[in-house]
Amino acid sequence: MSAPLLSTRKLSNHFGMVCTARDLDLSFEQGVLTSIIGPNGAGKSTLINLLTGYLPVQAGKIIFQGRDITRLPIHRRVRMGICRSFQIVNVFPELTVAQNVMIPVLARTGRAWRPIRRLSRETALMRETEAMLAKVGLLAERDTPATALSHGDLRLLEVGVALAAAPTLLFLDEPTAGMNPVERVRLLDNIRELAREGRTTFVVVEHDMDVVFSLSERIIVLHRGEILCDGTPESVRADAKVREVYLGDDVTDLFRYREEE
Amino acid sequence: MNARIRNATAAAAVFLALCAVPFLFGKFAVYLTIRIMLLGIFAVGYNLLLGQTGLLSFGHGAFYAAGAYGLGLFGARFSTDPLLGVAAGVVAAVLLALLVGYICVRHTEIYFAMLTLACGMMAFSFFWNAREITGGDDGLIGIMRAPVSLFGAVKMPIGKDEQFYFFVLFFFALSVWAAHRIRRSPFGLALAGIRENARRSEFAGVPVRRYRLAVFVLSGAFAGLAGSLEALLESNARPFMAHWTHSAEPVLVSLLGGLSSLTGPLVGGAIFVAMREIIQRFTENWMLGFGIVLLVIIMGFRGGVVGTLSVLFRKAAAPREG
Repeated sequence: MSAPLLSTRKLSNHFGMVCTARDLDLSFEQGVLTSIIGPNGAGKSTLINLLTGYLPVQAGKIIFQGRDITRLPIHRRVRMGICRSFQIVNVFPELTVAQNVMIPVLARTGRAWRPIRRLSRETALMRETEAMLAKVGLLAERDTPATALSHGDLRLLEVGVALAAAPTLLFLDEPTAGMNPVERVRLLDNIRELAREGRTTFVVVEHDMDVVFSLSERIIVLHRGEILCDGTPESVRADAKVREVYLGDDVTDLFRYREEE
Repeated sequence: MNARIRNATAAAAVFLALCAVPFLFGKFAVYLTIRIMLLGIFAVGYNLLLGQTGLLSFGHGAFYAAGAYGLGLFGARFSTDPLLGVAAGVVAAVLLALLVGYICVRHTEIYFAMLTLACGMMAFSFFWNAREITGGDDGLIGIMRAPVSLFGAVKMPIGKDEQFYFFVLFFFALSVWAAHRIRRSPFGLALAGIRENARRSEFAGVPVRRYRLAVFVLSGAFAGLAGSLEALLESNARPFMAHWTHSAEPVLVSLLGGLSSLTGPLVGGAIFVAMREIIQRFTENWMLGFGIVLLVIIMGFRGGVVGTLSVLFRKAAAPREG
């Protein structure tokens, strides 16, 4: 097995007395579409926040492509190839859809430092922006301000902005939350296709078990900041500890999915 | 494209009208227009920070003063060439802005505003107290307007206000053009991104702090340019240029004219100077009148004069198109 894309060593985080990450030793392999699941408060978002630099690391280490990135600021991690989308839509509200996507493209190519050049003359930028908008299905809305988009389109834009940074490793925090079924299928197809292209490795946090089991090659179950189970969808579904934790609403989901198969 | 031609035509018309001012009107109008252009340079640069990037600074008077003192000290020690003097003033402002910005851009919103205010007050008290260098409360006096020489060949006198007017107009046009290009450049888009959502900008790979520092220094350079030109106009540099009340001028002017356009601070500046200079002739309490105008605009017309007019314009044009 080759060296993992990203790995953590004894990664820990506490909010006061609440432990949201306890000595996590995790690794993400190139090209393996991974999901992170777990009940509310399991530490899923905290994990993403730590790995992408949103939260400072209190203890432990993060290694990306052999380099220690534990203390690197957010924008440096993004330039190295780690990006994310947000659970709550977090775009540039007053800018148009196209401009939203342009910013990460400009930052990545180092063109954002040009103060006198006309934006409209940046033909490579325009081409790349349009290709990205076509990919997420927002080309028709290119000149619409983000605030005027429907919720589903905003979610697509959220993912589009993250993808436009051309990440090697992309964390999607509940990408389909609040989407209607049509949009959801479309986005999932997109993710699958992009994952197959192989340039980006996806790690998805999801609540929707249909999504998780249909999409992932590997599932990590977190519970109270610890890894409860880590393996293929089949092994996770068969795990007794996982069922125990998921007593409540989600347990029925897990079983229903199994029966439908 | 249509809009671009329309804007270019409007800009050319304003430029020609400004060129005609010294030939059509008297001394007072010329002086007034120079003051309007100086505040215009100050405010249009400042609005790159406030309107484009969303950072509120209360310390830009310090850079304005640095420009004026830079020109004055350079003139007294090295050369009275006005172009070199202006360059020296801008360099002084840029250096001070780098220092102040380096400290301030680590913070945002109210903390940023208060830090810039604190730095501005320190600059003011330096200009006020360092008597040997800055002339203390008298400031630098007797700054000359030597003729402009291009490579020692052509000599253009700028001693009279009517002549100096074109010197200022040149820098004014240059500043407006530069601000216009910056707003529409990749850099300008990155700044707008920081204004809209700084956190997401970081996750887009933008080194937000460095961009904030860059635009801070850039707006400081505009302030320094305006300050050095005022030193030439009034033949002095005064500590009150660095006072926080002066730092508030580009803020008020941008609000008055409208934050979200290039022309907003220019129109606001024109109204501000005209009101001050004209009302001041009748009453000491011109601030009372100005306060009322500002109150009405902020409470009733959020987009400022330019924002409100362009909305009305669009409403008037809409039925015809439809």
